[in-house]
Amino acid sequence: MMVKVKAFASFREILGREQEIDMRPGSTVSDLLLDLARTNRRFKDAAFDDSGRLKDYVLLMKNTKRIDPLQDLTVELTDGDEVAVFPPVAGG
Amino acid sequence: MIEITEKDFSLDEMVRMAKRDDAGAIVTFLGTVRDDGIRSMELEAYSDVARMELESIADEAKSRFNLKSVNIVHRVGRLDVGDNIVAIVVSAAHRDEAFMGCRHIIEELKAKALIWKKEIGSSGEHWVGHE
Repeated sequence: MMVKVKAFASFREILGREQEIDMRPGSTVSDLLLDLARTNRRFKDAAFDDSGRLKDYVLLMKNTKRIDPLQDLTVELTDGDEVAVFPPVAGG
Repeated sequence: MIEITEKDFSLDEMVRMAKRDDAGAIVTFLGTVRDDGIRSMELEAYSDVARMELESIADEAKSRFNLKSVNIVHRVGRLDVGDNIVAIVVSAAHRDEAFMGCRHIIEELKAKALIWKKEIGSSGEHWVGHE
């Protein structure tokens, strides 16, 4: 199944603005992030601490709805889902 | 009008749009690029979601502060010192509601809207508010 990943600000500079990733059916948001970390060392360093925990400043959305990193990382993805990765906002 | 755009805007035009017979007060907020030792700034948004968030902030403020109208324009792209970043124009029957509503909207925008900025100076560049 294909999942679209959109990245913004510092994560856009690491991952690119948008990419489609082929994931196994049943994959979760966590699987997607680990997949990105495996293939991109800069993303791994930026998003995960030394113990492999997702850093607090990594914010996520699935299909434009916020994901709670403490609860929703195990949510399963489906074909065509859009996951956004971004740091804390700073508009205005 | 809720807009996220690379183009500059006219505050005068926004004020004209806010005028109504039942509004006795119009309050504007204009955010501009401040010289903090920077040359320019790059603004980026998750545009579709940011626009929805701004619409939600505007709707909530309208109802909470009894505003007659809310117009918000936020720019993205490369901006220089002194350039306009964001304008918020609200109208209300009375000034208290207009001042409070406008203040509420800019604070909510800064806290919630999916917009980021990178400061670019002679000694380098960094995204504001994070590593």
